This record gives sequence, C-alpha cells and structure tokens, in this order.
Amino acid sequence: MRRQVPLILCFAFGIVMALTEFSPHRFSQWLNKEVIDWTLVIGPFALVLAIATLIQTHWTRIRRRSEYWQYSFLVFIGMIVMVVIGIPLGQRHPVFVWLFRYVQVPMDATMFSLLAFFIASAAYRAFRARTLEATLLLAAALIVMIGNAPVGDLIWNTIIPFGDNLPSAARQWILDNPNLSARRGIILGISLGVISQSIRIILGIERSYLGGVEGD
Amino acid sequence: MKGPRTFCSSPVIQGLVLLVVVLGYAANAFAQEATTIEDAQWFDTNKIWIFLAVLLYSATVVYCIYHARSGKELFIRRIPGLEAVDEAIGRATEMGRSIMYILGLGGVSNVATIASMNILSQVAQKTADYETPLRVPCNDPIVMNVVREMVRTAYLNEGRPDAYNEENIFFLTESQFAYAAGVDGMMVREEPAAVFLQGSFFAESLILAETGNSIGAIQIAGTDKEHQLPFFIAACDYTLIGEELYAASAYLSREPMLLGSLKGQDYGKVMIFGAIVIGVILELFGITWLTTFFQRVN
Repeated sequence: MRRQVPLILCFAFGIVMALTEFSPHRFSQWLNKEVIDWTLVIGPFALVLAIATLIQTHWTRIRRRSEYWQYSFLVFIGMIVMVVIGIPLGQRHPVFVWLFRYVQVPMDATMFSLLAFFIASAAYRAFRARTLEATLLLAAALIVMIGNAPVGDLIWNTIIPFGDNLPSAARQWILDNPNLSARRGIILGISLGVISQSIRIILGIERSYLGGVEGD
Repeated sequence: MKGPRTFCSSPVIQGLVLLVVVLGYAANAFAQEATTIEDAQWFDTNKIWIFLAVLLYSATVVYCIYHARSGKELFIRRIPGLEAVDEAIGRATEMGRSIMYILGLGGVSNVATIASMNILSQVAQKTADYETPLRVPCNDPIVMNVVREMVRTAYLNEGRPDAYNEENIFFLTESQFAYAAGVDGMMVREEPAAVFLQGSFFAESLILAETGNSIGAIQIAGTDKEHQLPFFIAACDYTLIGEELYAASAYLSREPMLLGSLKGQDYGKVMIFGAIVIGVILELFGITWLTTFFQRVN
C-alpha cells in the first residue's frame, strides 16, 4: 500500500496535467493552476525540515569540534542576524535591505565574477589543439571571439582590401549554422528523453524516486 | 513472493479510477467557483499535430517496453560516461576518499532532477557495497528529503543499513551562488575522489566543475541545459549529453522494461532523423510542403 498510493496518484495527476497542456478551456487551465498551487503548499513544510537539518548539521560540527568547525559559527551568525531583523522588522526595513544589498548581493556577485577566470582556465585546456576536434573547436572559438569584438572587423577592414566585416559575418554563420544545428539536435534528444522518462514515471516503471531502487 | 512487474498492473487501473474521481471533484469545485463558464474550446486545435506526435512517440515507447518484457536481449549503445561510474566509485574506494553527488538547482518537479535522483539511487547501491562515503549537498529541501529516503532504501536493499549516514545528505542553501560557494568550499576541504554533477545547472556549472577539476577528482557530469554542456565538456572527464541523462538509470540498472523505453527513445530519434532527411531531399527538389507543415506546427 505504501507503494501503491503514490503510484496511483502519480499516474492520475500525470495524465491530467499532460492533458491540460492541450486544452485552452477555462476549466482545464483552472485545474492546471490549482494542482500547481497544491505543490507550493508542500514547500514550507520541507523548508522547516531543511532548516532543522542545517541547524543539526552545524550544531553537531561545533559540538564535535570537527575540522573547520569555526565556519559553522558563521552560518549561525548569518542565520540569526537575518531572522532577528527580518521577522520583526519585515523584509522592506532599511536594515534588512542594507544587509541584502551590501552583504549578500556583493558576495553573490563575487562568486559570479569568478566565472570569468574559470572560463579562461577551462578554455585554455579545451582549446589545446591535440586532436582534430580540439583544433576545429579552437578555430571556431577564435573566429567567434574575433567576430564578437568590434575591433576584429576594424582590423580586418583596414588590413584586408576585400570582404567587409568578414569576421562578424563568419561568427554569425558559425552561430546560425553548425552551432544552432548541434543545439537543436541536443534539444530534440532531451525532449525525447523527457517524454520517455515521464512515461516511465507515469506508468510506474521508474520508481527509484519513491524511495526504493528498481527491482524491489 | 513478488509477481511479475507489469505497467498495466493494478496501480495503472486504480490510477484511471482516481483520474475520473479527481476530474469529477475538480469539475464540481470549478462549477461552484465559477458563475459563468466561458464558451471555450476543450481542445486546442492548433496543437493537434503536437498531440498526435506525442501520442505516436508514447505508443512507440510503450510498445518497446511491452516488447522488452518478452526477455529478448536488446542492443543498447555504449555510453562512456555511464561506463565510468564504476571506475569513479572504485577510484574513491581505493583512495579512501568520499564521493560528492551534486543534483543541481532543479526542484523535485524538474525531470532532470528526477533523472539525477535515479542515477544517485544506482550510485548509492554501489557506495553501500564498497562502504565509500557519499556526500550529497542539496539546494532544495524537498529534494533533500526524497534523496535521504532513496539513499536509505538503497543501503537497506544492499544489506548495509549500518553504513548509511543521514548527515551526509544535507541542505545547504537555496541561493544559487551561496550554494556554489558552499559546495566549492567542501570540495577544497574534503577533496572527494569523485564528483557527480547531474541535474539542472545554470551559471554555477563551471564554478563547480572547475573546482572539481582543480582538486583532481574524476568528474562525471550531465545536464539538460544545453548552454552548460560546453562548460562540462571542457572541465569534466565524462559528460552525459542530452538524452543520455535520462537514459542513465535504465543503462545502469539494466532492467529490461527500462531498457525497452530506451529503445523507444531511439526509434523516436530515427523518426525525427527520417523527417529531416526527407525534408532536405524535398527542399532540394523545390518541394516545400513538409517544411511549411513543420513551420505551421511550430
């Protein structure tokens, strides 16, 4: 019974939600929205569990003096400060907004800006022309990079007497043809995979997500 | 004693009954809420071809699943990224280090996250066998709870409930870059021997993958976000591209019915490929009705 009920619910709601995508009727749109709203209700309950887990994990680390346990203090400080200010004063209070704008946003921005350096290091490895594929990748990347920079066209037009704006035209051709074709192929594969996986889940063939593994 | 598993067994029938009940209840609730029902279409005729295509493809998959139940051996092409799962777990075991499994930023309703959880289930069975620590930092509280239950069951099924440590599957944060920072920090401090990046990833994909690369971990990645695939290909040892992520659980479990659905997936690709080839040939001869048809469907 522990298995049967989720499988029955999954089948019924899976079919209903799939059908509502093909019906513009007010009733089916209402049903679609209603069911999605139900799923939102589950979120807060799970969040309580998650916060409890977070506190438990870091409290245990502090208690056991595990390696780098000092960082767990920072988690508690951040959590307590935001809760103590956010709950009584509200999310629009200047102090809360200040903390968000001048502490959290810069930290997020710092992490995001690391991406530039990581792209450089990953590109360096990927563009080493050791194989034919890597050489093609390098050539395509060079053309796209030169085409993306306005100075690329300027240099080309100054030095070469023919083919105005060739770098940007070549870049656009690469993006519109080989790149787009490959992307569409991948998207088609993903779409088929999603439908196939959904069928397996709706029919109850794929059950691992229920908390068990195949074959039990 | 377990009977043979069929997809037309009682849950499907009971599901159909529930479907009727749910629709009945919903119609009743809607009738009470709405005073006037607009005279709207029940079926969007603009989507008829998409509906038929989905129906045809679904029927193909279901047929292949039926066919697979006969026990006939199916040929499934080799997927190097999935072949490497054993290698990654074995390496971590030999080195006496942990395995880190990252499910991405998708919620539990995200199909890629479900696919990732199915792979995790297979990985957990192996780590239970080898007694290798499996660390799963989660970004979504619901995903964390489902994953805990899945991994616990996997350890139980392998006869190793004592090896399961609930503390290894934990909630980190819902914030994208705070999550990336947290996971990066753990990677640098704990130096896992293998890192799995499976699920929905966004701008944090390369931040995670490059950090994993810098600590020398063997990395197996897979995502449904095609924009992130180049990053994974550049930074990881193996990458599951496109539908390979969804094929993984079937490939790893080798269960005939799941493999049958993979075969159906392949037939779907053959159908699309056929349409493309025919379209190209017709276009070459100046016949445009097929391309016009697909443009209209779109």
